[in-house]
Amino acid sequence: MIEHPPREPWPGPAWVPTRALGRSVLLTGLLLVLGVALGRVDLVLLAAPFAIGAAIHLRRMPRSAPEVTIGSDDEHVVEGGRIEAALTVSNPDVIAYDLVVVRTRTSRWMRLEQADRPFAVAVPADGWAAVELPGEALRWGRQDVGPAAARVAACGGLLACRPVITPARAVRVYPVTDPFNATEAMPAAAGLVGNHRSRRTGEGGELAGVRPFAPGDRLRRIDWRVSLRTRDLHVASTLSDRDAEVLLLLDVLGEVGRSGGVAGSASVLDTTVRAAAAIAEHYLQRGDRVSLLEYGAAARRLRPATGRRQYLTVLEWLLDVRPDPVEQDRAEEVFGAHHVASDALVMVLTPLVDPRAADMLAQLTQSGRYVVAVDTLPAGAAPQNRNQWTPLATRLWRMERENVLGRLREHGVPVVAWAGAGSLDLVLRDVARMAAAPRGR
Amino acid sequence: MIVVITALTARAGRARAALGRATAIPFLVRAGIALCGLVAVLVAWPQPLLAGRNLALLALIAMYPAVAPRGRGATVAALVVVAGWLVDTTVFDARIALWRVLALATLLYLGHTLTALAAALPFDAVVNLDVVGLWLARALAVVLISAVLTVVALGLAAELAGPAFLVATLAGLAGAVGATLLVARLLRRA
Repeated sequence: MIEHPPREPWPGPAWVPTRALGRSVLLTGLLLVLGVALGRVDLVLLAAPFAIGAAIHLRRMPRSAPEVTIGSDDEHVVEGGRIEAALTVSNPDVIAYDLVVVRTRTSRWMRLEQADRPFAVAVPADGWAAVELPGEALRWGRQDVGPAAARVAACGGLLACRPVITPARAVRVYPVTDPFNATEAMPAAAGLVGNHRSRRTGEGGELAGVRPFAPGDRLRRIDWRVSLRTRDLHVASTLSDRDAEVLLLLDVLGEVGRSGGVAGSASVLDTTVRAAAAIAEHYLQRGDRVSLLEYGAAARRLRPATGRRQYLTVLEWLLDVRPDPVEQDRAEEVFGAHHVASDALVMVLTPLVDPRAADMLAQLTQSGRYVVAVDTLPAGAAPQNRNQWTPLATRLWRMERENVLGRLREHGVPVVAWAGAGSLDLVLRDVARMAAAPRGR
Repeated sequence: MIVVITALTARAGRARAALGRATAIPFLVRAGIALCGLVAVLVAWPQPLLAGRNLALLALIAMYPAVAPRGRGATVAALVVVAGWLVDTTVFDARIALWRVLALATLLYLGHTLTALAAALPFDAVVNLDVVGLWLARALAVVLISAVLTVVALGLAAELAGPAFLVATLAGLAGAVGATLLVARLLRRA
């Protein structure tokens, strides 16, 4: 049996006559008929402009549809930064477009000048016209400019084109990174390269002490001054330099708080993404390997790597962070401690709103990972006031949350609120000290 | 009753919001439509009928296309102007003065082409000046050609004095042939 492909719907003509053309034809015809019937030249002359206008305007007619393109500077745009978007209407036809009305939608996180208004421009034949939309990107993410639509009137408004619609273009807006500086030691370094002084002596730059020469020591390590004084060979021992893996675990089970963009209040995901970018930047600059993992239904993952290339990948990866809730009964399938390398420093960025996040933290600590929890809940976050019980319920929930935080601390999970620079130093020192203690629970 | 009041309040609110967003050039274009309509009515209709309620009604019809340029208001307004002209020249037996024919032809065409522009131009658009400039330049060229034609034709009719009927018939037939060709071309294209 032969199957016929489905017939495509007949595409209607792109150009359609307008009401002005109908009016022109009607008035011309009526006035001519009346003029002839009544023998009145003046009525024929009243029809003359309509007939002449139609003849002049319709002597050449448009054949092709206009093209609308959305352009934007693809450079490194950070939230709060300037952005230059532009709508370009090109006219491939042989006649000019008398009027092109072009309008666009934009993401609510783009404040482009007059983007909420339509623009009216004229486009010459075989030419183009651009509408500049300078503005500001207010929040990180892939922010859409578009879809844009253009309606064209040609031939003096006697013919109009059906709207031409162009899909949206996503502009990458990177999160602003709060400068972050942690000087404390990493709990567990992995390879024999890197910037962190390890807890073991070895080849490195940091002086650990002076000890008597032993077979196997390199001659260039001999500390001649001490050796002369003690009349015995001594060597300067150093701590080996190591790199480490930092895993940033992003809790994306839900979004809490209202985001106000870069200048306004920060929601949980805002804090999460900005903190993750800052932490990743810091550790990548120091030569550590950074990986990222989402605690959500999709469980997106970024493999550990180092260097500037990884930093750019991290930023790109962070653009796609969005709330990704998991059903209650599927939580176990999504995440397990086996996803986390045993010697990695795990920084969990979580609002600790979902009880499963606290369970996950406890589970990670129990399995011997070095865990730091960064509390991303905004300070004033509270549910919408629905009735007289809401404030009370909110207080109860806050107390319960404090309880959970306390219990976590008791179990050795340091929880620290993200406050930008230096907020993790104290905690990292504690983790390093914990790591120095013998393991084997 | 309450429903009506609510609907009216909502409509008034929307109108206020629209006025707040309106930009200068679309507003001027619409003001031009209203002005052309009003002056055309004043020129076409006989003076005795232009008083009191009649004037208000005629002015309303003539200015309505400025408010709703996408509707049929412009056609109705043009027909009302032509009707007034016919009433004045037949019932009131007014003389067909050159300036009145010129003014009517110009005003009717300007009203028509400005309505076509306003129909495509949203009231809150940011408009490049060259759009309106080129549009008006084209309209003025058409008006100028028609004016020359009017002067020549009316002069011809006055010179021939008697067979004005013949001139009208010839001009009308020429126009009709032109219009038929135009419509035929449009149909072939569609």
